[in-house]
Amino acid sequence: MKKSRMSRINKMLEIPKEVYSDVPKISVIGFDEMIIENYKGILEYEEFFIRISTYKGIISINGYNLNLETMTNDDIRVTGKIESFDFERMTD
Amino acid sequence: MIIKRIVNYIYGYLRIVVEGYYIERFMNICRNKGYMMWNIKKNNDIKIALNIEIKKFKDICRIAKKTGCHIHIKAKRGLPFLLNKYKKRKIFALCLFIIIAVIFFSSNFVWNIEIIEENGIEIENIMEDIHKAGLKIGELKSNINTKEIINQVRLNRDDIAWMGIELKGTNAIVKLVKADKKPEIVDEDEYCNIVSNKNGVITKINAQDGTANVKVGDTVSEGDILINGWMEGKYTGIRYVHAKGEIEARVWYTMNKTIPYNTTEKQSTGNVETNYGIKINNFKINFPKGVSKFNFYDTIETENKIKLFSNFYLPISIVKTTNEEYENVQKTYSVEEAKTLGIQEIEKELEEKIEDKDKIVNKNINTYENENSIDIYVTYEVLENIGTNEKIVF
Repeated sequence: MKKSRMSRINKMLEIPKEVYSDVPKISVIGFDEMIIENYKGILEYEEFFIRISTYKGIISINGYNLNLETMTNDDIRVTGKIESFDFERMTD
Repeated sequence: MIIKRIVNYIYGYLRIVVEGYYIERFMNICRNKGYMMWNIKKNNDIKIALNIEIKKFKDICRIAKKTGCHIHIKAKRGLPFLLNKYKKRKIFALCLFIIIAVIFFSSNFVWNIEIIEENGIEIENIMEDIHKAGLKIGELKSNINTKEIINQVRLNRDDIAWMGIELKGTNAIVKLVKADKKPEIVDEDEYCNIVSNKNGVITKINAQDGTANVKVGDTVSEGDILINGWMEGKYTGIRYVHAKGEIEARVWYTMNKTIPYNTTEKQSTGNVETNYGIKINNFKINFPKGVSKFNFYDTIETENKIKLFSNFYLPISIVKTTNEEYENVQKTYSVEEAKTLGIQEIEKELEEKIEDKDKIVNKNINTYENENSIDIYVTYEVLENIGTNEKIVF
């Protein structure tokens, strides 16, 4: 009950969703850069394959020469030749 | 992001290589603790290279131990390491400090005086007067009172119309405008004569106001009255006026020269020796190469002040002395050659003197041959307007 009220206020104030909740925000810039905010951790990291877990599920990125450009507490930036990415929805 | 990088550079960072089977776990733990990592790159299956802040390294070592990873440092980057590198070089640091101190200290003095004269008209002895007024090389900048110096210099001299001193860095720029001599303007209302200012023969005289004192064909010399500033009427008597009129006269410009047939001339051979020296204020150090090997030579000395920036002169200058070798060449002219050479030289000089070259009427050349030289006389005959106003003094 309390949570829904908070979310209603936030909606009213038009605060971005990724700020007040755990929903990840994924921005892809060109085909070479990808920024994921609100992530939980890295599950796998290879040069050609990255799996990143978020609170809503897992993002897996395919490509080659993949680097983790920066990794801070709230966002991760992946650069390299991204070929595809997909989501594994968490079922709860 | 760039700000973060700069901050990291200032605090210093490490590029480490982590080796192990649970690298992802290692990274997640690091992330959960809030450590910043960047430029993460996987080299091969079990090796990863990443940058990390220097302060977090100890914690990271502990985490690596926990996760069974192996760490080794690949590179240390940033300001702390750079400074550490120079920590042992104490003399270097001392010299750097001394140099900075000297530059700061010397920037309080004037080390160069630049004189800019408007239109490039040179004013004689101005440097001495400026020195006397208190603007000297090596003077403290705070001691210089530009207003007082300007006043003092202008009091001493009457040929300066305007003067300005600008202190820029260690350079004092003195700007000067030369004053022309006040022309004596005779008022329209005042009575005046017209007086000749050149020697010549009158060819035309036309008195508009006043009475002509000379006729056409008269020879006048400098100072003769050409038009009198009075008029005489039958009934009115003598009446003084402001004389006005046009006087044209033939004026001669003559010049002579003696050209000997046999002359020795300097001819440069093209051989040049250069020596350098350093001059600190008035103390000079030469780097000579011994006595010059030339028999006859001209010495040219040029001084270049060293400056750090455009206006920051140092009290050090490099002196470059150039010795140019010449040979004494015996030259013999024939009569004709000497004649043409002399005429050319004289004509050149004369034409500089004459203001209006279109009014040259006649050119007269006389030559007198002597035993071993030739005398050349060149006379230009020019039609000119002569006459200046001169106040009548009663």
